[in-house]
Amino acid sequence: MSAPVDEALRSRVKNLDAMPAMPAILGPLIECLDLPPEQIEIEKITELIARDKSIAAQCLRMANSALFSRASVQTIRGAVVTLGAMRLRDILWSSFLVRMAPKSNWPLNPTAFWEHSFGCALVSQQLAKKIALPDPEKIYLCGLLHDLGELVNSMLMPAEFKATAERAVLESISLYDAEKQSLGFTHCDSGKLLADHWRLPADIRNVIEFHHTPEQATESAAVVAVVNLSDFLCRLRGMGYGYDELCEVDFHQAPAWNLLQKAVPHLAELDVARFTFELDAEAEEIRQLVASAFQT
Amino acid sequence: MPGPPTVADEQSERAAERTDPTLIRIRDLVYKVCGIYMPDNKFYFLNDRCDRRVKTLKMDSLRAYYDALTLGADREAEIRNLLNEITVGETCFFRSPQQLSALRKIILPKIMEAKKKLSFTRLKIWSAGSSTGEEPYTLAMMLLEDSATMLKDWKWEINATDLNDHSLAKCKEGVYPGYAVRNTEPYYLQKYFRPDGQNFALVPEVKSRVTFTRLNLHDESKMLFMKGYDVIFCANVLIYFDGTSKRRTVHHFYNGLMPGGYFFVGASESLYGVSEEFRLVHFPGATAYYHPLLREEVADERPR
Repeated sequence: MSAPVDEALRSRVKNLDAMPAMPAILGPLIECLDLPPEQIEIEKITELIARDKSIAAQCLRMANSALFSRASVQTIRGAVVTLGAMRLRDILWSSFLVRMAPKSNWPLNPTAFWEHSFGCALVSQQLAKKIALPDPEKIYLCGLLHDLGELVNSMLMPAEFKATAERAVLESISLYDAEKQSLGFTHCDSGKLLADHWRLPADIRNVIEFHHTPEQATESAAVVAVVNLSDFLCRLRGMGYGYDELCEVDFHQAPAWNLLQKAVPHLAELDVARFTFELDAEAEEIRQLVASAFQT
Repeated sequence: MPGPPTVADEQSERAAERTDPTLIRIRDLVYKVCGIYMPDNKFYFLNDRCDRRVKTLKMDSLRAYYDALTLGADREAEIRNLLNEITVGETCFFRSPQQLSALRKIILPKIMEAKKKLSFTRLKIWSAGSSTGEEPYTLAMMLLEDSATMLKDWKWEINATDLNDHSLAKCKEGVYPGYAVRNTEPYYLQKYFRPDGQNFALVPEVKSRVTFTRLNLHDESKMLFMKGYDVIFCANVLIYFDGTSKRRTVHHFYNGLMPGGYFFVGASESLYGVSEEFRLVHFPGATAYYHPLLREEVADERPR
């Protein structure tokens, strides 16, 4: 982070303790779930989940939903086994994200924020699968959390951030550009601050910090690049922040494309037009999903 | 607290479970042969259109129809029949609002800025395969709206071409049924149309802004004369061409465009694998194909 950005940000974020704390169980749980499958300890995970009533309830509800249940699941252990490590990780993070979001008076349109976050998670995962990157589930999570900084801005400077978001809509520019002009720093900077504070895994931290400037990422470059491209696609195909940015994007000339091509030489064969058209169905599903989950 | 949405995977798995695998094969076949893509949320539509063909051909299943599309002696003709079902009744004024919005808000300002530096004040747009004229007349109305502001002191022309004499006659007549104006805002309807019995007749101001010519896109010698365009539209025409003639025609379109110009096909049409010269670019809700400048400036102000 450059000095003036740092200063602009620090002057507003005087005290990171004003931010919602990471729920006590989340860190250890994520650590447990990130282990190779052979080393995952079901008992330990069960015990940790049992300590947080709302997360435990969430897991039970999911395990008993029509998607998974063949028989009724009564215990947390049963839920853990039914859902599996990947889904648990997603459920934990999405519950947490929902919990830390403002309860009212959002500076942003909350429906658009959730559509964009879950949309970017989904598109990142689909893109990763399409080009055969390892661990697409992890990339889902990176997509889900990429705009964590928007929540930081929403909590710490609601009025200023609201004006910034309104400016973005009015001028049809990205939130990122509006933040740079109005605040002097962006959600990438404020997101990084919180990600460091919470000691999030390196991939997620890098995505949060560099998803608008992928060429500056010194590690996790492929993951950052995938989320950058997916973020663009979402904003271009009806999963953005509820307005159209006046922009023209040539994916093959984007810095992220070049970065990704180094990790994935067969990227050149990707049919970008088809992938884009496929997303129109995803966008519809995401809208329904968010509408039903948040009763908007 | 409401439960958060869950993992993505299950959704697409569920979508695949619901969908007849034969329908997915037909979708992929149509994309491969014609370049028109129907995402999963359009399956009901594709199913409906295939059903019509299944009934007409008195077949007993979608599976049998797939065989007719892939193995039948008349498979090429049958794909055309299916495409006709898919695109029938699509034509109307303001059909692809996101393409139009990209043209008006992003592409034209960009092209005009570049041209102004060279003291050029002229724009040329070609609507290729214009059918009964809804597309070129939509463009004319849009540009007329900007003629006192953005386009002040600019000359612009819209050339529309089609192979079909009957369609061209309709264009020149400029009278349309209510169905053709279903996407037209009342503002445009009042300003640029006059009631004509049950129909809507375009005012002379709009009609005079478009020239219509008969042109066969396969006619190479005539295609060579189509030059100097800033933007070309050609929606749902190339989908009927075979691979070789599609490549050849797209190459002519490329040459017909000025460097820095844009080529639009239908909103769900793709030119994947058809041209190495054009660059696919994205606008909000729309894609287009770009004819790059000889020496592309390094874009420092690329979007973030």
